[in-house]
Amino acid sequence: MSQSRIFNNLSRRKFLQYSSLAAGTSVLAACGGGGGSDSQANLGENPIKVGVMYSTTGSIAIVEKSLQDATFLAIEQINTGTGPWEGNGEGIGGRKIERVVVNPNSDWDLYNQMSKRLIEEDQVVCVLGCYTSASRKSVLPVFEDTDSILYYPVYYEGNECSSNVFYTGAAPNQQITDSIPYAYENFGPRGFFIGSDYIYPKESNRIAIAELEKAGGQSVGDEYAALGTTEFITIINKIKAASPDFVLSNLVGDSIPAFYRQFKDAGVNAEDIPIMAYPTTEEEIQAMGSEYSAGHYTSFNYFQSVETPENEAFVSQFKEMFDDNRVTNGVMEAAYIQTFFMAQAMKDILEAGDEITTETLREATRGQEFNAPQGPVKMDPDNYHAWLYSRIGRWQEDGQAEIVFATESAVKPIPWSQALYQGRMCVHPTPDDRSDPTKETGEELEPVFL
Amino acid sequence: MLDSALPSMLSSPLYLLAQEEPAIEGGFQMTALLNQALNGVGIVGILLLTALGLAITFGVMRIINLAHGEFIMLGAYITFWMQENFQMDLLMTIPFAFIGTALVGALVELTIIRRLYGRPLETLLATWGLSIVLQGVVKLIFTAQLKYVRAPDYLSGNVTFVSDPTGSPLVAISYYRLFIVVAALLLLGITMYLFYKTSWGRQIRAVTQNREMAKCLGVNTKLVDMGTFAYGCGLAGIAGAVISALKTVAPPMGQDYLVDAWMVVVTGGVDKLIGILAGSFLIGEANAIIAFILNDPTARVIVLASVIVLIRYRPEGLFTVQKRT
Repeated sequence: MSQSRIFNNLSRRKFLQYSSLAAGTSVLAACGGGGGSDSQANLGENPIKVGVMYSTTGSIAIVEKSLQDATFLAIEQINTGTGPWEGNGEGIGGRKIERVVVNPNSDWDLYNQMSKRLIEEDQVVCVLGCYTSASRKSVLPVFEDTDSILYYPVYYEGNECSSNVFYTGAAPNQQITDSIPYAYENFGPRGFFIGSDYIYPKESNRIAIAELEKAGGQSVGDEYAALGTTEFITIINKIKAASPDFVLSNLVGDSIPAFYRQFKDAGVNAEDIPIMAYPTTEEEIQAMGSEYSAGHYTSFNYFQSVETPENEAFVSQFKEMFDDNRVTNGVMEAAYIQTFFMAQAMKDILEAGDEITTETLREATRGQEFNAPQGPVKMDPDNYHAWLYSRIGRWQEDGQAEIVFATESAVKPIPWSQALYQGRMCVHPTPDDRSDPTKETGEELEPVFL
Repeated sequence: MLDSALPSMLSSPLYLLAQEEPAIEGGFQMTALLNQALNGVGIVGILLLTALGLAITFGVMRIINLAHGEFIMLGAYITFWMQENFQMDLLMTIPFAFIGTALVGALVELTIIRRLYGRPLETLLATWGLSIVLQGVVKLIFTAQLKYVRAPDYLSGNVTFVSDPTGSPLVAISYYRLFIVVAALLLLGITMYLFYKTSWGRQIRAVTQNREMAKCLGVNTKLVDMGTFAYGCGLAGIAGAVISALKTVAPPMGQDYLVDAWMVVVTGGVDKLIGILAGSFLIGEANAIIAFILNDPTARVIVLASVIVLIRYRPEGLFTVQKRT
């Protein structure tokens, strides 16, 4: 049978029919996956509806599924009065949390549609969710237009100051600002910057390059690979040709294990060119095999190896609920923390005899404090970002990080990189005043510790 | 052979250029480009390996198989599973990856593909659905977490062709990438032997050329179809097993190879199996060189656009002999 015979039979109309059918099926598949909310038994009287929006299918599912797991652990502990919620009784003031789970299938547009559905149809009081900056940018207009609240658990590139989002992940000054001087002093002045090809890695690298130049070093190259790429020999050869003192990696997701494996396979030693990374966590290390990561570095607020009683409890409770082989990482910890910020705020509202609305929830979440696995943290009352520890870990043969740098206490978040936007800060005014919260002081902001 | 290549390369003009200290920038670039071209061969190996199965299922059988990537993924998961449970060496798992994916392939042919011969669009939709199902099933069994596959120790290290005065390698390729190239060429050779030198191969070609006549002559066309499809899937499984140690093992991993495999098969032409060797060489090296001079995303755009232009003017691919119809 010749190829032409097959395709000649296909009229234009037929093709349109088929292709629209195909497009329709993909939407159905996505909706099917994220269909109705999963039911939790015995929620009792008048549960509090909370949206949980992470992709459990598609290219980002690998990361977002673990965020969902950490969120479920926190909700389970709140509903049963265990873990950090011990002593508060079951649920929040007797009311349990009903999680309304949607799956946006790693599709940025679906995040937008599904957040709308959560807010308008399911009438949730707030949403816990999103991972990539692309998905956050996609839902931001929805939360601002409907004046609803999103709790966002991911380290990100900053440059945002929305009164509808509480950011529990690291702002640039809690992750990038300490790692670059560390790399400059310990490895040398010449950095090579790589990342996946989308907003976060590019902006994060731009900040890192500015920080490196401020410290007196220079960038000897920056390269980006399409999201999901697993072939890195070209980038590795460029790194070899430029022979930098260190590589700064903002590769995300599936690309991470492939890059580290091929880096070592191409004969580059961690002693000669160490990799300093942000998105490389315990989960990716487990997937790539710790022999490939040993000697490289990650800068993060939390590592599984942090020694606090809260962390010991968190790790064992997580393993108990899911699987003994699972590891915890910084993003999961942030997803866990933010659920407690939310629950504590709701508890305060109910104790004051108020209704849980966007207005009350926003006011109650500002300034919440929590004894997190990484140490005591707090939600900044002015800029709605969390005070977090800044740490640098050196990966060991056993797949855990040896912490080589840590701040004494949590650092106050600054959403704008001071190397790029000197003096720009974010101060949300009072509930009635909705004027632009972005303020310019003109002078570089100094680090402030809890 | 590698050792004998070394002295001749050392005296080559490229290397002498790199030796001149003041002009190190230009010379450095040249050896770096040479290194990249050599490593491009590694990319060619991966392309060839991942496209070989598709060359059978599409090239020979004309089945538009959008689940090809998922068969690669299945091969990788079989390797992971065997390693996890029996601590097997990666090379030892390859036969199991082949047999396992071939069995799944046979089952798919029996239940889905067989009912859709001669209906390419329905096949396209069905195999696309199949790819979603296979990803979902693997996710249910193994969860969405990335998986770790152990690379064999004896394949770590690099072959160095040119090194700089201090001894650090300038032009080198890793043993594992060489191994992939050798494995890909070996599989291509075996497949060509099977297709052109055995009676099974003759039957396959007879069935694809004239199904009715082949049937009249007593060829069990259904069995041939099933066997051929299963073989193509098995090859994809081997590809998955081999690349699993260098890449990432996760349910959506197959998507990454699907587009590349299609580009290779379409570029090379589907009439001759040897076409995919040329197709992978062209696409792999073009990608490697353009990505080195510009950058990775741009290289992908340029290569993809070139393939589109190519199939506009030569829809039958580069290496298909024009036939009278």
